[in-house]
Amino acid sequence: MKRRLLSVVTGALALGLAALSPGQQVAEIVAITVPGTNPIVDPSAPLWRDARPVDVTLLPQTIVVPQKPDAAVRQLQVRAAHNAQWLAFRLEWADPTESNHIVLDNFGDQVAVELPVDPHGPAPSPMMGNPGGRVNIMQWRAAFQRDIDRGPPTVQSLYPNAWADVYPDQVLSVSDARAYTGALGVENPISRAAASPVLDQMAEGWGTMTVKPEQYAVGRGVWKDGRWAVVIARPLVSDDLNGPRLARGDRTVVAFAVWEGGNGEVGSRKSWSTWVPLVIGSGGAQKGESVKRQQP
Amino acid sequence: MAKVYNWQIGREMDYPFEGHRPQKQFAMVFDTNKCIACQTCTVACKTTWTPGRGQEYMYWNNVETKPYGYYPLGWDVRILEALGVQDMTGPVYQGKTLFDAAPTGEVILGYLPEDIDYAHPNIGEDDCAGTMPQGAHLQLPHMQWMFYLPRICNHCTYPACLAACPRQSIYKRPEDGIVLLDQSRCRGYRECVRGCPYKKTYFNAVTRVSEKCIGCYPAIEQGRQTQCTIACIGKIRLQGFLGKHDAPDEDNPLDYLVFVRKLALPLYPQFGLEPNTYYIPPVHVPPEFLRQMFGWGVDAAIALYRKLHEDKKLLAALTLFGSTPQIIHYFRVDGDYAVGYDATEKELVRVPLHEPVVIREAYDRAHDAYRTNIT
Repeated sequence: MKRRLLSVVTGALALGLAALSPGQQVAEIVAITVPGTNPIVDPSAPLWRDARPVDVTLLPQTIVVPQKPDAAVRQLQVRAAHNAQWLAFRLEWADPTESNHIVLDNFGDQVAVELPVDPHGPAPSPMMGNPGGRVNIMQWRAAFQRDIDRGPPTVQSLYPNAWADVYPDQVLSVSDARAYTGALGVENPISRAAASPVLDQMAEGWGTMTVKPEQYAVGRGVWKDGRWAVVIARPLVSDDLNGPRLARGDRTVVAFAVWEGGNGEVGSRKSWSTWVPLVIGSGGAQKGESVKRQQP
Repeated sequence: MAKVYNWQIGREMDYPFEGHRPQKQFAMVFDTNKCIACQTCTVACKTTWTPGRGQEYMYWNNVETKPYGYYPLGWDVRILEALGVQDMTGPVYQGKTLFDAAPTGEVILGYLPEDIDYAHPNIGEDDCAGTMPQGAHLQLPHMQWMFYLPRICNHCTYPACLAACPRQSIYKRPEDGIVLLDQSRCRGYRECVRGCPYKKTYFNAVTRVSEKCIGCYPAIEQGRQTQCTIACIGKIRLQGFLGKHDAPDEDNPLDYLVFVRKLALPLYPQFGLEPNTYYIPPVHVPPEFLRQMFGWGVDAAIALYRKLHEDKKLLAALTLFGSTPQIIHYFRVDGDYAVGYDATEKELVRVPLHEPVVIREAYDRAHDAYRTNIT
């Protein structure tokens, strides 16, 4: 089992590096320079008109199990911009169903941006990194966007006809009722959106995705007329040891993944891209400062 | 895939992880002949573990009527249909396990139920296998029949939920074989719900991660049997630990019932998970149906059960069901008593093998009154 995994990892690495090899024509994403120091989160902001869109091809994930060979989203339109402090990606794709209501047989729409933690070293595997090749994965979730826009789910909002006579939190103290709150009680970051609909995470290979204790990523997503437009942003420079430190003129790589919740996509059942070259535009002369972590 | 040995199917099989058996295995035996589906176990479990928000529909313990009861709807017939007809002659199972039958790109053959499949926990309750024609009379096995099937998580030796989880959020405790789902590691992919053929992991839509039966581990760690076991008014359950399948201890009631006498049988052994709740099959049900559900040992188990009155040690093991809230690690026959002991061989309980018969005269001289048979 281990040997097979290793060979798959090596293969994935080769695939990732092949995408960067000189002879190939690979579209380059250029993060244009825009003024300001505030986080860039609005997908309808006028600044995006100046950023050149790059169509990134996505393929169904078919390297590890479980898989969804008919993963729905095959193309992602990517724009990038940065100001003195923030690097932002605007991601747009066609999705006929807005999936942000999570119950047993409903999955949520999601999109993720992956950056190598060390932007100047050899690129890790584009497939969630590899042991020693750590990546920063920022994942926006439609369900989290809904939590922020309309409040967290309740039993009544999920199942309007549900009724229960009494819940532990109505008759017990907060500490005694905590045992009946499952993942919420242990503050599983998957349970609820905190301040941001984007999870700031790191990984070193499949199954290792870890939500970082300190969150830097921000963003916002809007679904309109069968299309999602989502912005995911993070500081160019921060005190985050598990995020890249980027400067004007830097060249690195970026990869993407999309989950079409309406098609039952979740976890490794997704579409993904290989590494795409990323250039941090060097226009303008504004000097940035290290960004402190976002307070929830 | 690693090769692991599954004693229930008598052969090696493929499993995504190497086989490491726990020091002892959490196990439970149910005597289906005694279950009346009163659901006291269900309520005991519900009030103890799942009264919270998002847990409303969760029954870590449920009791369903067979053949037409299911929770969730059609859980066993749907996976049996997907697996297809298999050769069920034992003692070495020649058919496919659910791991053998995994489609390309999947760990195991499974399916994700729909929300609506959980809408009717008591569907099929008390429904018989068919209608009674004019002039029908009682036969054994019954030509029309039903029985109650109490179910909890099987704490399988080769759990499908654990195998299906891409994050290894599910683990099997080496000290007692209890299978747990880490509430802080789960990301709510529902691969475990899809993979478990018994559908004993549940998705919590309020917390957005999955949950499952915890084998009452806080009680187990104190030497106490599970809530569903000690609440059982019919005394149909015995919860304890299984030892080694290839070196059973005759003094351990679980080993004796499962490994030595083979009176209690696993639920759908052909799935290949080595489930660790065991059923004494209902004697009045046609063996054709029971063989599919409990495997090829059904006929021998029913024959054995019918001669229980001649079999003092087996009777003693069954007499200890529901006799004490403590876990019985050892037992023996002492004259006309069954005696249960804890892990330190301290006596826990002493139960007569036969209840004394007391005949009360119809006429009570002291009160100059006649007794009726309802007092």
